[in-house]
Amino acid sequence: MKDILRRHSVLNDEIVDIINKQVKMEAQSSAAYLAMAAWCDKEGYDNCAEFFFKQSDEERKHQLKFFHYLVDMECEAISPAVDQSQHEFDKLRSVFEKALEMEIAVTDAIHDIVRLCRKEGDLATEEFLRWFVTEQIEEEYIARRCLELFDVLGEDKIALGMIEERILGVSYDAGEA
Amino acid sequence: MESTKELIYETANASLHQCDATEHYILHFGGDTVTFRACELITFKRKIQKIDLATLLSSETPDVEIIHMPHCDRIFALSIHNVLELKDLFGGAFTMLELNSVIHRQLVRKVF
Repeated sequence: MKDILRRHSVLNDEIVDIINKQVKMEAQSSAAYLAMAAWCDKEGYDNCAEFFFKQSDEERKHQLKFFHYLVDMECEAISPAVDQSQHEFDKLRSVFEKALEMEIAVTDAIHDIVRLCRKEGDLATEEFLRWFVTEQIEEEYIARRCLELFDVLGEDKIALGMIEERILGVSYDAGEA
Repeated sequence: MESTKELIYETANASLHQCDATEHYILHFGGDTVTFRACELITFKRKIQKIDLATLLSSETPDVEIIHMPHCDRIFALSIHNVLELKDLFGGAFTMLELNSVIHRQLVRKVF
């Protein structure tokens, strides 16, 4: 009897379910960053708005990367419904605090998938996730550094102006500098 | 074509066969016959497995679960007994299919 199942089904059900959950989480993050960008733009923080628009694009790319992986493996990829995002914030610092919390949640979720892959012996998906593990180191670093600008500079009008000037220059050099 | 059809698993009122020639699966259930490609069968199995029997039993609506399978433009109206039987069928059938995969991996594909 031919092994038809193996030819057409590469991932097991648990892996498919958890990746579909991650697709939704990335979509939710993308939408949340869009809402943050809108708030920043409305409040006059143009550079912060640009920063969050870029973050929203990044999350969308992550979502599609997971989505394409499922499709490529001939698995069921579910286009997710996205819940309402937080649109109102009391101050700029709160927006960046929310961003860091989101990135930590995404990191935790990706680590959970890696752990499941190890449990299931899915070496291919674990290898696929390696890029995301590294990416989250960068994402979390940038979110943390942005928040640290508030600690260093303060939150008065001059400080907020300085944060606006510096926010687009925050980057991660992977320890090379 | 019929000769390549092999029984994977059966229950009292349902059976699942595999056809090597067409690479399709054939479900016989309650007098009906439905043909699936591998990915369609997996989708159908996942829908059946995700049915929560406790919710179905406690529901105020009639205890029937509606499952739509677009690949054959069929709608299945499944009673609790039907759901239980299909869960049983797919549990057994996929265990056998995974066993077949293990045999292929250990014996058929192994070159050395």
